[in-house]
Amino acid sequence: MTISEFLLNGFVTTQAWVFEHWINPLLPRLGLLSYQEEAFDATEFALVGLFEIILLVGIFRPLEALIPAEDWPDRRGTRVDVIYTLLHRLGFIPLVMFVLMWPLTFKLDGWLRMHGFIPYTLEDIFPVLQYHPILTFFAYLVILDFFSYWLHRFQHRLEWWWALHGVHHSQRTMSYWSDDRTHLLDDLLTTAWFTLLSLLIGVEPGQFIFLMMIPRILQSLAHANVNWRFGPFEVILVSPHYHRFHHGIGTGSDSGSLSCNFAVLFPIWDICFHTANFSRSTPPTGIADQLQGRDYGSGFWKQQQLGLKRLWCAIRYGKA
Amino acid sequence: MRLILTALMMFFSWLLLAEAHAEVVIVLNSGEGTISRIDKNTFRPIDKFYVGREPHHLMSLPDNSALIVANAVSNNLVFLDPRTGDIKHRLERISDPYQIGFSPDKRWFVVNSLRLDRVDVYDARDFHLIKRFELSSMPSHLAFSPDSSHVYVTLQGSDQLASIDLNSMAVQWTIPIGKTPAGVILTPDGQHLLIGVMGLNEVAVVDYKTAQIIKHIPAGKGTHNFMPEGDGRHIFVGNRSGDTVSIIDTKTLTITKTFPVAGGPDDMEVSADGKQLWVTNRWIRQISVVDLTTDQVVHTIPVGKSPHGIFFEHHASRQ
Repeated sequence: MTISEFLLNGFVTTQAWVFEHWINPLLPRLGLLSYQEEAFDATEFALVGLFEIILLVGIFRPLEALIPAEDWPDRRGTRVDVIYTLLHRLGFIPLVMFVLMWPLTFKLDGWLRMHGFIPYTLEDIFPVLQYHPILTFFAYLVILDFFSYWLHRFQHRLEWWWALHGVHHSQRTMSYWSDDRTHLLDDLLTTAWFTLLSLLIGVEPGQFIFLMMIPRILQSLAHANVNWRFGPFEVILVSPHYHRFHHGIGTGSDSGSLSCNFAVLFPIWDICFHTANFSRSTPPTGIADQLQGRDYGSGFWKQQQLGLKRLWCAIRYGKA
Repeated sequence: MRLILTALMMFFSWLLLAEAHAEVVIVLNSGEGTISRIDKNTFRPIDKFYVGREPHHLMSLPDNSALIVANAVSNNLVFLDPRTGDIKHRLERISDPYQIGFSPDKRWFVVNSLRLDRVDVYDARDFHLIKRFELSSMPSHLAFSPDSSHVYVTLQGSDQLASIDLNSMAVQWTIPIGKTPAGVILTPDGQHLLIGVMGLNEVAVVDYKTAQIIKHIPAGKGTHNFMPEGDGRHIFVGNRSGDTVSIIDTKTLTITKTFPVAGGPDDMEVSADGKQLWVTNRWIRQISVVDLTTDQVVHTIPVGKSPHGIFFEHHASRQ
């Protein structure tokens, strides 16, 4: 038995055990037996997330200690981001978003089909992909990253959306835990964005739970407090330095036309749309008005509450 | 020299014969979009290849010339050589095919779209869509009346059984059947429908002529799907949450036997000689082979993620 077979067997056995002993018995009691297969997939999602978190701590924490981009007196500021990461990677927030978006997705898809339209998949357009699932995955990854880039630009361009996205940018001690630090309403909008996109191009992320680990880990690395530029690969993959510049006060977050480095995985989009900045400087992270004392909250609920307050101001007065 | 040549010829003839007799078991790994092929004689995996997104169920064309795999998320049907499992061709733009079935008169091809609450009726000759029904919610499994005039569909999300009249192309009736119904099958005598009611851990027996439940047969936890034993009398039913398989005597409408099969027993296939039951173990990426003379699992074979449909050419009668 190879190491990968051993790991896979261990994972499959754990997933089956957790599902059959903990999750499956709950389903009839909750009236959710119809969703048994989805619950099984959710168990996998949570376990993959747990595995991912172990990897993050095991690899990125030592990296942050060895080659930090910034020196901090302590790591207290990063603690709240741990909550966001656990909620996202163990599947709680994705589950809520899925439940909220489910009726919209399936009603819309069903309605389209009742009117004779079957949404296209990439494989319909490029039949060669029907035989190459890994290639299909990377094709979807590139397309999703392209739309992530534009979503991210809107998050900065639209004042009301920036009001929510500010939660993500208000971290002054940005670490590998910070990727999932987002406002819940921002999560919902992002989910809606990708749900509609999935209807257009036939994405089924559930098909790629294991493969999705790779981009998610890269996104965590992009936020890590690590002084790493990826050398010649800097223009191919978003490095911690490149993304830190996007989070920098006066360089990325809220600097209007100077905002840059919106790409999530591949800087090619920034290069194509003239928003790339491969500067070597390492600015402090955060939002400029934090320097004037604006409070974005230090706890989870406070951050959520203040995000809503800023949203209200943006809608009512045009300024977050 | 002649002796050596004869021995070599015999050896290669034996190899060719073995190859010719190797029977392939085809398993759909719905969670990773692949097909696993297994050598039925040696119980060893042969290979695994990508077929499309979410292949759940499969069935033969009425003339057995091909095996159809329904890729729900890819919106297509893939036609395989039923003997080897090789892909012959694909039929695109079939909306969300989850569960599929041909009417006994070979006139209709019915597709349940579980995800999107649709039941589609196609002309079985050219797969031309005749009618699309909106049936809430979660149309899961299906069975036909012996005269092909009706198709019966379990509605997993709304705890119902629906009857669609294929002559008038209209829903004839919908009755409550119990919490989370899944598999449905006609008894070999054509008198009743058996429905696996997962949430009640039972098999509901329905007189489809009067749309009445006439009996509840307690089974194992998560009573799910059926497969005839092939003797015209007994039917296997998998209890997916209880990790058991039971045998129903359709004459007495009782369960005669229950034996363990680990890991979420789902779809099944019975060997032509009635000695082996092959079961997909949904939660543990395995196939179990049960020796039906001892009711013991004698082989477990690794396959892919979330194995669902299973087929081999020389199977027992579907009656």
